[in-house]
Amino acid sequence: MKIKKSTLKKKIGRRQFIKNSVYSGLALGMFPAILTHSSDALAASFGANINWKQAEGSEITVGLIPAGYFKNLAAVKSTFEDLTGVKLNIEMTPPGQIRNKAMLDFSKKTGMWATNSTDPMFYYLYEANGWVDRLDEYLENPKLTDKKWFDYEDIQEGWRGTASVKGVPYGIPFDGEATCQIYRKDIYDKFGIKPANTLDEYLSNAQKIHDPKNRLWAAAVRGMKGAGQNMYIYPSILAGYGGKWFNSSGKMTVNTPEAIGALDYYVKLQKSFAPSGVSNWNWPDLADAFGQGTLGSYIDANSTAAVINNAEKSKVIGKIGYARWPKGPSGRRVCSIWNWSFPINAALSPKDKVATWLFIQWACSKETQAATSHKFAGAYKRVGVNRNSVWKNSDFQSLMSKMGDNFVDTSIKSYNNDTDPDWRPRTAKWPAVGGEMATAIQAALVGEKSSKQALLDAQTKIDKLMKG
Amino acid sequence: MNASSQQEKSFAILLVSPSILVLLITTTFPILYLIWSSFQNINLSMPSNDGFAGLENYIEMFNDKQYWKSFKLTIVYTVSTVSLQLLIGLGLALLVLKIPKAQWLFRLMAILPIVLAPVVVGLFWRTLMLTPDFGIVDFFTQSIGLGSYAWLSEPKLAVFSVILIHTWQWTPFAFLVLLASLASLPSDLYEAAKIDRASALKRFFYITLPLIRPAIIIIVIMRSMIALSAYAAIYAATRGGPGTATEILNLYAYRTSFLEVNFGYGSTLAVFILIVTISVAAVLYSIRRKK
Amino acid sequence: MNKKIRDYILTTLATFIMLIWILPLIWSVFVSLKSEIEVLAYPPNIFFEPTLNNFKDAISGSLSIVSELGDSFLIATITTIFTLLLSIPAAYALARLNLFGKKKLGFYVLATQMIPPMGLVIPYYLILGKFGWLDTYHGMIIVYMTFSLPFAIWLMVSFMEDIPREMEEAAFLDKASRMKTLLFIILPQVKGGIAVTTIFTFMNAWNEFLFAVQLSGNKVRPVTIAMYNFVSVEQTLWAKLCAAALIAMIPVIIIGIIGNNHIIKGLTLGAVKGGGRK
Repeated sequence: MKIKKSTLKKKIGRRQFIKNSVYSGLALGMFPAILTHSSDALAASFGANINWKQAEGSEITVGLIPAGYFKNLAAVKSTFEDLTGVKLNIEMTPPGQIRNKAMLDFSKKTGMWATNSTDPMFYYLYEANGWVDRLDEYLENPKLTDKKWFDYEDIQEGWRGTASVKGVPYGIPFDGEATCQIYRKDIYDKFGIKPANTLDEYLSNAQKIHDPKNRLWAAAVRGMKGAGQNMYIYPSILAGYGGKWFNSSGKMTVNTPEAIGALDYYVKLQKSFAPSGVSNWNWPDLADAFGQGTLGSYIDANSTAAVINNAEKSKVIGKIGYARWPKGPSGRRVCSIWNWSFPINAALSPKDKVATWLFIQWACSKETQAATSHKFAGAYKRVGVNRNSVWKNSDFQSLMSKMGDNFVDTSIKSYNNDTDPDWRPRTAKWPAVGGEMATAIQAALVGEKSSKQALLDAQTKIDKLMKG
Repeated sequence: MNASSQQEKSFAILLVSPSILVLLITTTFPILYLIWSSFQNINLSMPSNDGFAGLENYIEMFNDKQYWKSFKLTIVYTVSTVSLQLLIGLGLALLVLKIPKAQWLFRLMAILPIVLAPVVVGLFWRTLMLTPDFGIVDFFTQSIGLGSYAWLSEPKLAVFSVILIHTWQWTPFAFLVLLASLASLPSDLYEAAKIDRASALKRFFYITLPLIRPAIIIIVIMRSMIALSAYAAIYAATRGGPGTATEILNLYAYRTSFLEVNFGYGSTLAVFILIVTISVAAVLYSIRRKK
Repeated sequence: MNKKIRDYILTTLATFIMLIWILPLIWSVFVSLKSEIEVLAYPPNIFFEPTLNNFKDAISGSLSIVSELGDSFLIATITTIFTLLLSIPAAYALARLNLFGKKKLGFYVLATQMIPPMGLVIPYYLILGKFGWLDTYHGMIIVYMTFSLPFAIWLMVSFMEDIPREMEEAAFLDKASRMKTLLFIILPQVKGGIAVTTIFTFMNAWNEFLFAVQLSGNKVRPVTIAMYNFVSVEQTLWAKLCAAALIAMIPVIIIGIIGNNHIIKGLTLGAVKGGGRK
């Protein structure tokens, strides 16, 4: 009896096996056909007059920071893979380590990352070491780029400038932001105040609504030390005070009277109106506090809108207003000019470089920008699209206006009027310089040193750094 | 005797060689590379300047005020946390030793802080525990009338806080090792001492302590090395701030090598740290076993 | 004092201290059961409606850490196995055998652990890069073994030194071979020590961050990096982060529990055996 059962099972098994093979054989046979059809249709829908498949079969790895805007890009990567036949690996790396990893890869020429989300302040450093390719060659090559379709000039002008060195583009901006005021519209309305137009007004507004006993702190900005943290806000105040990074003979000078005045303002603002832990607060902490209703206003990146409008975390949806950076005593109004851009790793093989360029073109194209933003299926919609045309798109605008009062107008005006590529010192020594300044600012904030002393010490260190 | 001691030697060599070989292969090149780099100018932001620098980096290091500040801080940090870990660990181990039935539970609870990822430890303590007016620790101190403090913002308090965090996470190591050591001590020695009417304190100082001295020294050396190389938790908690108040040598070397991309100088700092560590450890090592 | 009362007082004291000690962990369990919006409520609330969503998000979906858990488990396990295989014999030799220059050798082992990790990142990146071992399991394991070997050797040395000398002499009298002595007489004595060493070696590999970030890539992704799935530039999802961190602790705790049993067995044996010279 047992033997019979087992042979019976074997028979069935074999039959099933044959069935399965036939089905899979059919499927496999049809698959390439399906694939080519769909990717042809895809290429057609993109409308670019280039051969998207010219790097077919390559495999590239892209390093990105964990951020909503990159997660959306990762979510649509199959579009790219179908379009080009290039396998795309995405490696999410913590923001504190990504620059190091990128630089290790560049300097040792290991070619691990075809491209990565690059901090605009680092291009001078990259260019000085020859780690990244000039992109004008790619842009001007009709085999690689359909100039009309790609429309490079449609990308935010200021951002293009920061991803270039001496006028030559080395990176294509993907996502960016501008700092602006974010405030509780309901609280401002209650006190009958309007968002500040000058730095002094910002202080007086804060004075009116400050109520720490009831857990409402009036205003705060980034206090954590870091080139991308407190040194993301201070330079705007510096510009407002009319300060510059380089003096008339081109020497970097950070302890000018304007600089001291700006630092004094920063310290005064934080000490008077921010919670006492602010010296350790970074952007997420400010957004958290605002979302919980304990912060009346803050000045930070406009892309924070996505966070404070997240129903999962925020208690203040519908009560948010936006306004441009206040003007400083000098009359200047300067916001941040930040964006993440994609360069091409010079250590790659020529075919991989083409594959990388195709990726960059695809990611920064109008289609993908829309696909990751107002056309995206998930809950997080990208705010920081790089294209003027997308900002003008009515679907995009109506989505963005849900972020709060005046969001679209503030963002567009900030991008077009308030940006300055030299808002922070552009030099190959930026990593060290940025770090020294960040330390000085925090030292002044926590009362370790006076503004004057902190900046003087920073100046001494920077002098040494800039030598030779 | 000769044959057997020869046998013993070969046996010992057989047992030890694989490990020594692995270590030789994997650590010799890095140390040489590090030492070589310390004599070079390797600054990625000034590639044209790269080249042999002789003793320049070392001279710069001795003149670097920030370096010495960091050095002093590191000593304070390391000595504090290792002493605390040892004292608390030993105390807890002695306590728990007397309750053999429940020991497994304490051992289990002890493992928990160590297992928590250092990055999470730093972030957790920074925001959910220590933020004034927002964190739990601050909530407690306010509730019991001690008031609110700028735990991570006030320079001296920040040093205390990072020592606290590190000690919190790593004392269980000392606890577990000492517990294992203490529990394996032969009990007949204690019986003999009890018969001799030696007091508990005397028993501790004259019998227990000498017997576990080798374990204590190893703990001191190892915890010191970990304290010296602490990175993830402090970086997540303070980034070495406020200012440079919690920037221990390891963080300073990290900042120099990676953030300021001055790898030559960073190597010099690393080499110096290595020399100091080896010297201190050598002293401790020599007193490890009193013959 | 009555032994029972004394035990009771000691147990209470020890439990109290332990509870305070793991209070942050207890709090993170609370946080992991809250919804994101409640995490930051102040004053912190202990009563809330618990939800398992955070754990669900950490295990399935786009933020899942499961594959990273697998990677870390593989790396940590193999590292631990190889480390134990190499370190226990070495520790025995250094602790109890007559070896020429063993003190110096012992110090060399200790010293290899003193190289500041910062200084090692670039050399290791170079070496692994040259062999094409970046972003591979074996690459990570080799690097981790460099740290765990000296550590494990020295831990085992201190445990081995606790065993009375008579052990080997008794074995010799019984004409046992050296290898047999090691395997069947010495090792059971230090079971507790081996368990401790296993736990810590595994843990060190499990929680390592610096080298994990720099030397891994998108094929090999340890769980310490996966924590950043919940820590983006714009916000930290505290509840999900705590849930993920707790899940990441489970494998180590399991190993700890298994090890615990061996520690108990080993210690009781040791106390009895070590006590008698009979």
